Amino acid sequence: MLDVKTRHLTNRRSIAWPLVVLAGVSLLSIVFSVTQGSVSLSPYSVWQALLGQGSGLNQTLVLELRLPRVMAAFATGGLLAVAGALMQILLRNPLADPYVLGISGGASVAALAAILLGISGILMSGMAFLGAVLSTLLVFGLASRLGNMATMRLLLTGVVIAAGWGALITLMLALAPPYKIPGMLYWLMGDLSYASTPWLAWCVLVPTCLILMPLGRSLNVLARGPLQAAALGVNVKSVERLVFLLASLLTAIAVTTAGSVGFVGLVVPHMLRMVLGNDQRLILPASALAGGCLVTLADTLARTVIAPEQLPVGVITALLGVPTFLYLLQRGRL
Amino acid sequence: MANPMRIVSFMLIWWFGGGAFASAAFAEPVCVEDDRGLSVCLDHPAVRIAALSPGATELIYAAGAGDKVVAVVSYSDYPEAAKSVTSVGSHTRLDLERLISLQPDLVLAWGTGNPTEQIETLARLGLPVYYVEAHEFEDIARNIENMGVLAGTKELANLEAMRFRTGIQALQERYKEAAPIKTFYQIWDEPLMTMNGSHYMSKAVNLCGGVNVFADSPRLIPRLSREAILLKNPEVIITGDRGELKTDWLNTWLSFPDLVATQRGNLFYVPASLVQRPTPRLLEGAQILCQRLDTARARR
Repeated sequence: MLDVKTRHLTNRRSIAWPLVVLAGVSLLSIVFSVTQGSVSLSPYSVWQALLGQGSGLNQTLVLELRLPRVMAAFATGGLLAVAGALMQILLRNPLADPYVLGISGGASVAALAAILLGISGILMSGMAFLGAVLSTLLVFGLASRLGNMATMRLLLTGVVIAAGWGALITLMLALAPPYKIPGMLYWLMGDLSYASTPWLAWCVLVPTCLILMPLGRSLNVLARGPLQAAALGVNVKSVERLVFLLASLLTAIAVTTAGSVGFVGLVVPHMLRMVLGNDQRLILPASALAGGCLVTLADTLARTVIAPEQLPVGVITALLGVPTFLYLLQRGRL
Repeated sequence: MANPMRIVSFMLIWWFGGGAFASAAFAEPVCVEDDRGLSVCLDHPAVRIAALSPGATELIYAAGAGDKVVAVVSYSDYPEAAKSVTSVGSHTRLDLERLISLQPDLVLAWGTGNPTEQIETLARLGLPVYYVEAHEFEDIARNIENMGVLAGTKELANLEAMRFRTGIQALQERYKEAAPIKTFYQIWDEPLMTMNGSHYMSKAVNLCGGVNVFADSPRLIPRLSREAILLKNPEVIITGDRGELKTDWLNTWLSFPDLVATQRGNLFYVPASLVQRPTPRLLEGAQILCQRLDTARARR
């Protein structure tokens, strides 16, 4: 059902080149973001700080505040874009995004409950993660009750559970004391000022991309439909389960790191398909890199554009993503 | 002036983690207990202070240490001098980079207003954090005194705290015997909001002999329906007047002629900036509030 024109890339070189280019752009975006901030530091002093030299203040700014946040932004974007690409393959629906099955809803309800209870930091992240896992298990359990996880059933179950979480979120916002509401809204809009450490996100993103590499061919076939895939010798059931669980894990970690940053998971894989074709061996790693770039640059804008006021990154990802996506769509590649 | 020297010495302390040598040269270490009940200690009185809420800004200026404030947040509009201090974002989202680069040696955080994660980051980076969270008149006076200790302006701070306490006591004395009067304080219009009995604004109403009709509400800031107010039928309805942002909130009540407050014309404004922040200006706000309730009593 993915009505994307499928261009098969068989040649190894045609997979490698776009990735090399994207990796270069990623590196540039990370370097650029580390040099930007509400306090202006010259690239030289940033470099010195990275080497552990220069003034203590600069080292604190770069090593304690900027670098962890930039790395968290990149990993979050990567996680969301890969999760989105996986969901689109799994559900064979171009509207699928990482949140379509209610994972962010489950995480949000748990995180908002934590905020209401006055819990913060690692404990709040832990609760958000548990919420995401709970929602995943609920959807998975209900959808595969008959031992047969039909895609339509999975999608409907997920969407309805997401709606349920949405209602709970609204209820909590309505009952919350006014002084807690700004924090809750920032969390819901996606915000990286919570992200104190990027390690967890990277430790999930990199191995997942490695696990997905050998699955590329199976996913290519799966994207065309489960019957065709089965006919071509793919173990559809187990691949689908793996994809579902991986996508859920990626989303859970992303939401845990930065709240629910919208739009990245939906749009980045589509943009890449328009430009690079629909070969999952290329699209999945390319999504990780391009998603990372988008969120890194968006967060740089979020913390500098009207500094000292800080914007939630989710606003910027959407504001950057919408025109780019519409432009590509108008060029008629989808 | 010793200030530039102090700044340099502070930088040395902060960057090299030492400090005993520098503090001994200038002043004794100072310790106070903040509104979390944790003790906040400084090797020497603060000279670069970040105030992370408009209320904290007012308190530190009241403590006589306004000239030591290097960072404020948006809406820190009182006193006038605070408007020209560098802003480090809104109290709900701080620009940590800018804040750190101003090298404060004391952070005045707002317990329920600032994001916990960001304040924890500041603490992790070694900045002393003093939490402000006033619920009572006494909290306001005590915070001013504590800030005076931390900023080395004890004399000025104690005078101001005394002025505030004396003013509140005078009101207490004066309205001890005043006839109770059922009062509804409207914090916001849509949704309709008030505060319960544990809020400092409710205590200001009590101080003037008013009875907050929603004092028993389980939530600190209940959201209400108009029906609930009709049911309570207060004798006075008061709301905050936001200066140039004139509201017509009170006009809504004119369409409810069954309300005693409407019948007697007891629909009053008080300046929101004086009553809706837990700062020494609350004394002035309380005095105006008491006058309004006196007017309402006279119309019985």
